[in-house]
Amino acid sequence: MAVVTRKNVLTGIRVRDAMRRQVVMLNTSDSLDQCIRHAIKYKVNALLVTNADGHAVGVVSKTDLMGAYYAGFSLDLSIETIMVGPPVYCHPNDPLEKSLESMKSFGIHRLYVTDDDGKSVIGVLAYPDIVGLLYRLCRKCKRNLTFKKKGEVPDVGEEHLRAKEVMSLSVTSHGTHETLFGIMETLSAYRFGAVLIRDSQKLPVGVVSKTDLIIAYRHGISADMPAETIMKSPVRSCRVDDFLLKTIQQMIFSDVHRLFVQSEDSRDIVGVISLTDAALVRSGSCRACTASRFLMPSG
Amino acid sequence: MENTTSAVMQTRFTTLSPDQTIKEAVRILQRASKEYGRRVFGMMVIDEENKLVGMLSMYDIFIFLRPKHIEIWGEMDDIDLAGLIENALARAATIRVGDIMTTGSISITPDTNLMMIVDIMIKKHVRRLPVLDGKEIVGIVFISDVFDYLLEKFME
Repeated sequence: MAVVTRKNVLTGIRVRDAMRRQVVMLNTSDSLDQCIRHAIKYKVNALLVTNADGHAVGVVSKTDLMGAYYAGFSLDLSIETIMVGPPVYCHPNDPLEKSLESMKSFGIHRLYVTDDDGKSVIGVLAYPDIVGLLYRLCRKCKRNLTFKKKGEVPDVGEEHLRAKEVMSLSVTSHGTHETLFGIMETLSAYRFGAVLIRDSQKLPVGVVSKTDLIIAYRHGISADMPAETIMKSPVRSCRVDDFLLKTIQQMIFSDVHRLFVQSEDSRDIVGVISLTDAALVRSGSCRACTASRFLMPSG
Repeated sequence: MENTTSAVMQTRFTTLSPDQTIKEAVRILQRASKEYGRRVFGMMVIDEENKLVGMLSMYDIFIFLRPKHIEIWGEMDDIDLAGLIENALARAATIRVGDIMTTGSISITPDTNLMMIVDIMIKKHVRRLPVLDGKEIVGIVFISDVFDYLLEKFME
């Protein structure tokens, strides 16, 4: 008797195929200042912390650094005081799906990859890396939107996912005059990576992300300052009907983790789509993949 | 002194401050290249007490400018790359020298032997080394000057 197994595009893919091999590490005694500088320079959302013996003992994320800014900690403080530990690990041969499950159940955004003896860290797996891999797979697929030979019109059938199907509807915004303190409260309460900034006419005029906040922290900008001091303009956005593949391409291309989603008929922002959302869809950028592989007899 | 730092170090040098923007730093590098008649790709970063706090080189700027997911679209030939560089440069607008400089860099003294300098440059992949006399910065050694000096010796 054939056993029906549910498969999706990630089935059969292992952690080693998606992981990033460069791991940015610091020592427990290194300062918050050093940690922020590394996060900025290497564009990472978290750093692995090792003790004097070289063993990984914790993780410091941009969220933790933002917390230190909020609490008014000195930049000279050692990262040991704010790190969260121990790190959560996976192995290179683990199925990618299992890793996604553990990221979800631990409520974390990355897993560190250890070698077979479990002693040394050889890589890191985060949502954007998984999206990167899915994106590559989609690009190689014949049904891909951008896959066309000369004179051929790409198939833009309904199986292609659009921004509105994946986006999150909860967009929190702040006014240009609201303080960075207020923004940090929103970011930590809702676990967002960035907030939208609106002007007095409620028009979206900028974005403040955790990265912007930790840069402000390092530059000695008081958290009492208004959002407009550090916000990034213009707001990077896409339209509700844009294809998911295009939005992923735009995020990867412009090194941003999220795009705000504009409604079809106005300039207003109605949602936000992030690389994490794109990773959690798991089916790449269209339904054709899951549909064709949905019921596969095995054994 | 023969065969030591003193024989090759430059005592005229320009420095950067951690609070300068990357744009200002690039302008200073360009100006220094003109002034000294040689390409200057990196400088010492000093604080208000003239203490060495780091080094900023072209390489540090490259690391920051390199897009995070470059390996993904690096393999694609049909992607539209217009605006890519502009995008990376725009991100650098709010970044300061102190944000991306390399800290904890090694320094040498005026009497460090040239072969020690060569060894450090190979092992640490650096092309310039600050020269300190106690806490005071007295000069900088460039890899090209070390090479020129050794070549001269070789030809003798």
